[in-house]
Amino acid sequence: MRTTRTDVIDESMSTDLTGTTPEHQKPKRTRRRAAAIASGAVAYLITFLVVLPLLWIVLLSFQPSGNILGNPFSLTNLTLDNYLTVIGSLPLLKMYGNTVLIAVVAVSVGTAISFTAAFALTRMIFRHRKVQSSLRFYILAGLAVPVYILLFPVYRLDLAFGVFGTYAALILPYIAVSIPFNTLLLTGFLREFPSELEEAAIIDGAGLGRLCWTVVLPLMRPVIATILIFNVVYVFNEFPFASILINNPDMVTVSLAVSRFQGQYTVDYGGMMAAATLVLLPQLVIYALFQKQVIAGMTVGAVKG
Amino acid sequence: MIAPALILFTLFLVYPVIYSLGFSFTKFQGFGSPEFIGLQNYISLGQDPFFWRALQNTVIILIVSIVLLVPGSFALALLLRRKVPGGGALRALVFGPAIIAPILVGLIWVFILDPKIGLLNRLLGFVGVAPVQWIGGDTLTPYAVALVFIWGSIGFAMTIFYAGRQVLPEDVMEASELDGATGFQQLRYVTIPMMRETFAIVTILMITSVFKIFELVYMLTGGGPVHRSETLVSYMYFTTFTNQKYGLGMALAVIITVLGAVVSVAYLALSRERKTA
Repeated sequence: MRTTRTDVIDESMSTDLTGTTPEHQKPKRTRRRAAAIASGAVAYLITFLVVLPLLWIVLLSFQPSGNILGNPFSLTNLTLDNYLTVIGSLPLLKMYGNTVLIAVVAVSVGTAISFTAAFALTRMIFRHRKVQSSLRFYILAGLAVPVYILLFPVYRLDLAFGVFGTYAALILPYIAVSIPFNTLLLTGFLREFPSELEEAAIIDGAGLGRLCWTVVLPLMRPVIATILIFNVVYVFNEFPFASILINNPDMVTVSLAVSRFQGQYTVDYGGMMAAATLVLLPQLVIYALFQKQVIAGMTVGAVKG
Repeated sequence: MIAPALILFTLFLVYPVIYSLGFSFTKFQGFGSPEFIGLQNYISLGQDPFFWRALQNTVIILIVSIVLLVPGSFALALLLRRKVPGGGALRALVFGPAIIAPILVGLIWVFILDPKIGLLNRLLGFVGVAPVQWIGGDTLTPYAVALVFIWGSIGFAMTIFYAGRQVLPEDVMEASELDGATGFQQLRYVTIPMMRETFAIVTILMITSVFKIFELVYMLTGGGPVHRSETLVSYMYFTTFTNQKYGLGMALAVIITVLGAVVSVAYLALSRERKTA
């Protein structure tokens, strides 16, 4: 979160609490301190409740199978057995490989074509201005479409184009559903962004391609970062499209693999939890590293969308 | 320059919507050619008790989620604005569930809510409460789904409220304090009215997210027993892809799309009316 005036004021208030205060303000001061402690305690309690389900999964993943049904809270015989079974049976490399491949292609192509489109929609001069603004509106209207209505038609389209059974079957709809959101953010940014620099570049003889990719694009880093994060999280977590458009076991994505854990491990709950932990942990580690950007990327995206 | 985006968007987003709408007036089982049957699919859905059950479940999830989540996440945002040691870390932790794949969220909560092996019944057992059938029974599943949804979204909604509160002009707050407003009065007459737009954003986001709930049901109960815990989307998925009644499934998809849009627009209209009143 960016620092604002309110942060500064907050801090000055809290230093006031610990600093010297005139005698007659004492009761108010202690009441304030009690309130601060109480709200702190509630905040910690809620956070603990939110984290608890994750801790429970991790704990179960280290329990020997007998303990899960009997005494799952025991901390005495924790074991790595579940992980050893799972690493043999879970195609981790394949799951992650497929998902990363699909995400990289879909998100980079989706961002690139949205960028050139947004550039044309805000910077180029159309013979008819109305065409330009109605094209923008046409693309933005896509924001109102829920993906569920697309599942079956996209399946038929993939069959018709002969891409069913390839990565493109999934990549094409992922690109398409990212376009309205990307266009919203990019055109919004470009509209507020002064065009003097571009004019200077044109005077210096820069062509359209150079103008677009080497002058404008680098200046748009923050909004591009937001788009990349938002889309990568979406593609990584997407399930409905993947469940319908992927039928080859060698092409499973992470979400698809997780959806099959219950069938795959049936009553081997320890194994299932170890597999879940192996999917959960990398995500949480990446989140911990890029926490600020991820939170900003996802909320800015959602608010504008 | 605009062509690649325009072509992909039209082909894989606009055309499918029209295609679904067209298919919703046909009978199609995956072979032969679709047969035009007019509004028959919509009429069949109106007579289908599973459809009404799915609608009822979706409405329950919607009401429980909005009623608890919007005030809850707002309160949490205000709480975390106070000087709490490690507040930044708390905010990051509470946001965490929002980045976990919905399908994995569903799996995780099987191990919390399952009547036999779940954490919740075990904890309740310690205080002498008999096992409750949170999922897989006849009534509680939509409430359990709402709980899981709240778990996944509270940090997300809190972050939006937090940012919305952060940009309020502080001089207005100080002025109300100097005028002798109590904390509650300030909240009721200054903070909340000034954050009306943020409330609208969060509420609309949560409404549209509830209408998309699918993976949670898919993992927790699979819609069972006998479709009694389906949401609209999970029932649409079943009708279309498991039962392969494509025309009927598309009619359901059209209904979900229209309902989601209508509820969002109705909320916006209502909140705007209140503003002018």
